[in-house]
Amino acid sequence: MKITGVKTTLYLYNLGWCMGDANSPAGRTRGCGCVVELETDAGLTGIGLGGGGVRPQISALVEGVLKGQDPRSAQGLWQRMANKHFKGGHDGLINDAIAVLDMAVWDLKAKANEEPLWKTLGGSKDRIHCYASGIEIPLSDELMHAWYSRMATQYGLRGGKLKVGLDQDADLRRIGLMRDALMQADDNPMLLIDANEYWSPKQAIRKVREIEEEFDLTWVEEPARRWDFLGLRRIKDSVRTAVCAGENLDTLGDFLPYFHHHSADIVQVSCGMGGITPALQLADAAFGYELPVTLGNSPGLIHAHLATVMPNFMTMEVCNVEPPDGVFTTDVTVVDGWAIPGDKPGLGIEIDVDALEKQAIERVPPGAGPSPFGRRPGAGLYEIPPTEEEKAAAAKGMEA
Amino acid sequence: MKITGYRTETYSFRLDRAIGDCNYPGGVDGMGGGFLWIETDEGISGVAPMAGDVEPLFRLIEGQDPREVIGLWRRMVDEVHKSGLALAAGAISAIDIALWDLKAKIAGEPLWRTFGSVEGRARAYASGIDYNLGDEELFAFYDGMAERGVDGGKLKIGLDQEADIRRIGIMHEALSKASDRPHLCIDVNEYWSPKQTIRYMAEIEKHHDITWIEEPARRWDHEGLKLVSQQVKAAVASGENLRTIGEFYPLVQHQAVDILSISAVQAGFTGCRQIAHLGHAYELPVSMMNCQANFMAHLAAALPNHVSMEVVEPGREHCIRFDSHIEDGFIVLGDAAGLGIEVDEDKLAQLQANPPVLTGPFPFPRREGAGLYVKGFQPGEVNWR
Repeated sequence: MKITGVKTTLYLYNLGWCMGDANSPAGRTRGCGCVVELETDAGLTGIGLGGGGVRPQISALVEGVLKGQDPRSAQGLWQRMANKHFKGGHDGLINDAIAVLDMAVWDLKAKANEEPLWKTLGGSKDRIHCYASGIEIPLSDELMHAWYSRMATQYGLRGGKLKVGLDQDADLRRIGLMRDALMQADDNPMLLIDANEYWSPKQAIRKVREIEEEFDLTWVEEPARRWDFLGLRRIKDSVRTAVCAGENLDTLGDFLPYFHHHSADIVQVSCGMGGITPALQLADAAFGYELPVTLGNSPGLIHAHLATVMPNFMTMEVCNVEPPDGVFTTDVTVVDGWAIPGDKPGLGIEIDVDALEKQAIERVPPGAGPSPFGRRPGAGLYEIPPTEEEKAAAAKGMEA
Repeated sequence: MKITGYRTETYSFRLDRAIGDCNYPGGVDGMGGGFLWIETDEGISGVAPMAGDVEPLFRLIEGQDPREVIGLWRRMVDEVHKSGLALAAGAISAIDIALWDLKAKIAGEPLWRTFGSVEGRARAYASGIDYNLGDEELFAFYDGMAERGVDGGKLKIGLDQEADIRRIGIMHEALSKASDRPHLCIDVNEYWSPKQTIRYMAEIEKHHDITWIEEPARRWDHEGLKLVSQQVKAAVASGENLRTIGEFYPLVQHQAVDILSISAVQAGFTGCRQIAHLGHAYELPVSMMNCQANFMAHLAAALPNHVSMEVVEPGREHCIRFDSHIEDGFIVLGDAAGLGIEVDEDKLAQLQANPPVLTGPFPFPRREGAGLYVKGFQPGEVNWR
């Protein structure tokens, strides 16, 4: 089997609610997706989801590296794509392109065997522990409580992660609300908080210590800058809660300081970082260091496939059980708090061609990108609570 | 597809030539071998060129789909949790290897492809395990490897510094046919203490540019290995006797070694790949150990940080056919499905019916004086002195 070409389609969709974190309390309601279709001479098409901002890089990598190659050589092809960009570094934009192509290559490898990806990887069909993540700073108390209630009652999710960082009193109150909602599924739900790098290490220590007086937290995520391995280590040594970090790192090498300096208690892994290939390598490296890994949110919850081969896998983030955009379907299901990977070949992702055509766009419109407002002022210095304008924007978003 | 049964066979055989290191410099002229077959309900079976006590583990995999090899590896590892992996490592490795063979056969592809390699080849270095060989035999061995493009070699040393320095020169000369600057490695198989190593290496490095020294201290002595690495120019390689990723943790965290020696016979393909990935995160190369028919090259070919694989070829393939050869310095793997290994059952039965009488110390004991003082060659111990 040989790769013959690629097609990428950008599309716009509604997120389903107003999403935002400490860096964007005004939130956003629209998202942008991208379907990458890797074509072969065997009539099989490999699907990758993502890479909307790097379509030229995707085309160049297919032309320059993947074309004519057998997709079953997934590991080696990933290495060739990374090696091609040695000098400039295979991080940043090129990393996004490699990641989505690697996903499509693995989809093909599994489809060639007519088996689901989890089986190609060598996993057993385990149930995968997961938690609810609302990315909900813009939501009112009532709406966020309703959101976690739905995740607890409809899907049985026993853990939740709250976005925090701008307003300590609101955070304390809302952790309690999330806990209350999740107690519909479990007497002692797993409580996680995420500051998205908004704090300095000492801000994090003060905030988390105060929260710990009231709540038993399982982890605090990104409580300092992604590269601040000493700051993360300091927090780790100063709070009871586990420090979870890594989601914005690109490559395996970026994690070396974390490992060496024991900076994180839990390592975040995602195929969005650099692809499925390096995600597996990263999980193995963390395993050697006795560190659990957690998988981030993924389109169609395809991370459930990867979890089956990670002996140190802890839990997986779920923002949406059903894909919100109508463009694709997944056969990963969530039942009673556990994700179950399906049995369809490959990633189990199927594209609704008509819906994709209807929602297709040429460019990412303002406000629909993953981080439309960038980093928030005050980050690492002092907290700026949501302004009246931001609250108004969030309220408007909620109506929509 | 479901696993329905298994079969193991053991046998002993004579090597085409004897092998020896500083722990048994007189050499051994044969060894024991084994096979494990895992059978399925669809007639395909997976084979591992090693056996082990599979019986207590088999109920964990019976009725399961062999393609779920990592899930099954976890079941086995979790099962032996309390007693530790070490006791069951041999059997788990054998099962894991046979399951990977099956997984590739089911996909109708060579195992290197299943692991995701593009080229299906792994760089090789020649390793004579040659303390028992005289100067001429030594030259002939490395010369033969150089003929096939192999530009690296590893010599067994440790008991006689003057002879060791001369013999490294012989290896160098033979390998010069393949490269102007061949990679010269030496291996002392845990016979020296760290400070003995540092003293000996100071002298050796006056004469030769050494790429790596292997096992220059005990396998677990991360402080000693680190001391050696800091004081010698050569890289320190170690790990071939470790069985789990957990045993590699101190070596990696303390930057004790420069190259991780790995083996699927010790850790299975599954565990071996985990260890390689750990090394990769730490920018550490890995080197695959030698094995019958070089079958572990299937994984080595797919590892991004594999430096080169040990090739000995003492003649261990008396009852198997295999699908690989050495060319231009690489182990080139064929396109036969799975490991590409077929067992000749007739020859196996013949070997079992007429077991050879083997000479040499089994199972490779430690030599007197190890880590304390060098007990030099005894009269008649090797025929080349």
